[in-house]
Amino acid sequence: MIKIEDIHFKYEGVYTALRGVSIQIDQGERVAIVGTNGAGKTTLVKHMNGLLRPQRGHVFLKDRDTKHMSVAEIARTVGLVFQSPDHQLFLDSVEKEVVFGLRNLGYSAKEAEERCHNTLSRLGLEGFADRSPFTLSGGERKRVALASVLATEPKVLALDEPTIGQDAKQKKLLAELLSEMNDAGCTVVVVTHDIEFVVEFFPRTVAMSGGLIVGDGKTESLLSNEAIIDLSSLSAPQTTLAASALRKKFPEVSNRITSVSDLEEIIVRLVGGL
Amino acid sequence: MPLIEFADFSFKYVGADSLALKRINLTINEGEYVVITGPSGCGKTTLCRAINGLVPHFHRGYIGGNVIIDGINTRTSSVANLSSIAGMVFQNPSNQLVTLNVERELAFGPENLGVDPAEITNRINEIVELLFLENLLEKHPHEMSGGEQQRVALAATLAMKPQILVADEPTSNLDPKNAEHILEIISSLNKRGMTVVLIEHRLDLVAQDATRIVLMNAGRIVADGKPREILVDDICQEIGVGIPKATQVYKGLKKRGIQLPSVPLSGEELAYIVQEAVLK
Amino acid sequence: MSFLEVFQYTKQDSVIHQLDPRSKMVLAITSAAISLMFLNIVPLLIILLCQIPILFLAKSVRRWLRSMKGLSFLLIFIIVFNTLLSTVANPFSYSVALTIRLIALMTSFSIFFLTVHPDELSQAMIQMRIRFEFAFAMSMAMRYVPTLAHEAYSIMDAQKARGVELDKGNLLKRIRNMIPIIVPLIIVSIRRALSVAESMESRAFGVSQNRTYLKRLEFQRRDWIVAFFSIAVLLYLIYFLSFFGLPDWMLWGFSF
Repeated sequence: MIKIEDIHFKYEGVYTALRGVSIQIDQGERVAIVGTNGAGKTTLVKHMNGLLRPQRGHVFLKDRDTKHMSVAEIARTVGLVFQSPDHQLFLDSVEKEVVFGLRNLGYSAKEAEERCHNTLSRLGLEGFADRSPFTLSGGERKRVALASVLATEPKVLALDEPTIGQDAKQKKLLAELLSEMNDAGCTVVVVTHDIEFVVEFFPRTVAMSGGLIVGDGKTESLLSNEAIIDLSSLSAPQTTLAASALRKKFPEVSNRITSVSDLEEIIVRLVGGL
Repeated sequence: MPLIEFADFSFKYVGADSLALKRINLTINEGEYVVITGPSGCGKTTLCRAINGLVPHFHRGYIGGNVIIDGINTRTSSVANLSSIAGMVFQNPSNQLVTLNVERELAFGPENLGVDPAEITNRINEIVELLFLENLLEKHPHEMSGGEQQRVALAATLAMKPQILVADEPTSNLDPKNAEHILEIISSLNKRGMTVVLIEHRLDLVAQDATRIVLMNAGRIVADGKPREILVDDICQEIGVGIPKATQVYKGLKKRGIQLPSVPLSGEELAYIVQEAVLK
Repeated sequence: MSFLEVFQYTKQDSVIHQLDPRSKMVLAITSAAISLMFLNIVPLLIILLCQIPILFLAKSVRRWLRSMKGLSFLLIFIIVFNTLLSTVANPFSYSVALTIRLIALMTSFSIFFLTVHPDELSQAMIQMRIRFEFAFAMSMAMRYVPTLAHEAYSIMDAQKARGVELDKGNLLKRIRNMIPIIVPLIIVSIRRALSVAESMESRAFGVSQNRTYLKRLEFQRRDWIVAFFSIAVLLYLIYFLSFFGLPDWMLWGFSF
């Protein structure tokens, strides 16, 4: 779906954000990108939808080099949801806001309205259609911004720090929604610090540090690697910590435990083994 | 004497349809570390604002009942007056840094209060040492990372020598390592005797340090007690508050008929409790 | 906009940087006033030559040269147009003098802005009995302008990702395309302003009549010397010009 070949990027006069990044993401994958602030995560995602262009290297979208495609053109395939919804909301009703993006991408008024309606009801925002986004709470605004991207039914959905400021319930809703999209064939890429979110919903994790990819693989093995955890400024999930502490006494405990149910299973076996 | 006392306190923001706080009764004593949590919009931020008088003096609205801070009724006192009793740290670090370098930032609060310059210098030296700010003193806000900025914002509040530290999700914009660092500092301040009131979603980061957790939902306090009591209560799931994974495992095991002897709040604790149980 | 660099504070450890902003203000105003007293090439060049050692002392010559290079196009433009359009006797000579005067004026103020930290400037204003709130507002503007600029870029990115094409279409369309940028920028700024105000209020901003200042500026001997010397030169030149006028060699100019 997305193939990135050895891209380099340097912000004008500041610092090098990407120094040779290659990654391939297949259709229908769920990928989490983790790393410290300044590791290049957001820069990488901005390359996926053409907001930034590589100074060296190539970005391919369905085998087509994006060099000659405009952002608007790429946006039809890759939808990017930004960290702050306030950076995009500007119209006086939620409905207009969603329709605006669709119209920009060339949908007819009728089709835009239909899609808008469908998306809003899918996100539980039907009641908000006529409300002004500015009267909504932060969490609700975040959902409106998400709706405006989802409505375009992108093949790839990229989200930058979607869980910041969200409580447990909202996080769960978001995760369910992403799974649903993913089941329907949508590729989901997320940039996040939220390790529990990664553990539960993303089978593949990419760890970045200093403009390079330092780890790329199965989430459970990547996140039980202390060096990677440290490099990406994450804190290991409690389940992993518990498992590695238990392994010191009980060597049969595997070192790849990240989920609550796995850990429960292990403990049942340990306790039951008496 | 309690340091913070909410007596039947209700509040409605101007222009809002419903009450943000409904008849809150809450007493916090000196030296406590209270974590306030609950789903978005539950009123926890309003509660914190009421401690240093931002509610009702900065955010206007209709009040019922009283909030008494160190014997002072917040209705009749100004925010400035309360600022040296209850210091406030907010979510967004860059919005709290209003000057062009760290030294000025630390001096800003005390200067406003008319503290003698020699005393300000003393306070700055003390705080710089406490929060390891030596190499940041000359820096501009733009030259610092989010974690550093939040450390400076915290320091600038401490420079006003408050008895209570109120922090409204101070780590939500930070990465986990920086978040842990800020929370370590807050916990060490508490160990030195400072009363702490902290709003936090990620209970796995704070449950071990807190002496008490207050759960809020829809403007009311729905549970209040020791972390190990509150977090195993089903009310957490009901209102949508995420509990630490280790505690989740404890609850899961209980459902399957395995009762661990005590409630774990961290992965290490869980491992230790299981070990003890197995080896016994 | 690189020529603006010359009005931007740069951190340096120099004698000029250490001077009190008020004495530097006297220096800047007197040297600007002196440049305005002349309209001949020779005396203006002498003024400029006197300013260069000060730039040297401030360790800022290179920065100054870079800005002047950035400005060179504009300066040549002024010379050409003035020469063509002016009705005075020797238009070229006059235009060159005018341009040197402009450079001297800019240099006078650049010495001030290059070496005075915005915090020092607001402190100087406060000690000159300007209200604290006003002086502080100025330094806060300096603090938050880059933040807003950064925010504007993020907003542009967010809208581009939704298919807004900022640089396409005719003028009207382009103006219409600015709305999705400007509206969020205003709203984000208002939200930010509220949150900043809340945090300042929590730190007792603007309450005490007896606000103290960690660092007060103090006029030292070197400041008195600079201020006294600047004013003395100005007064001497006024006296000299009104009683004697310029000597002939200073009146030299091109004959066209």
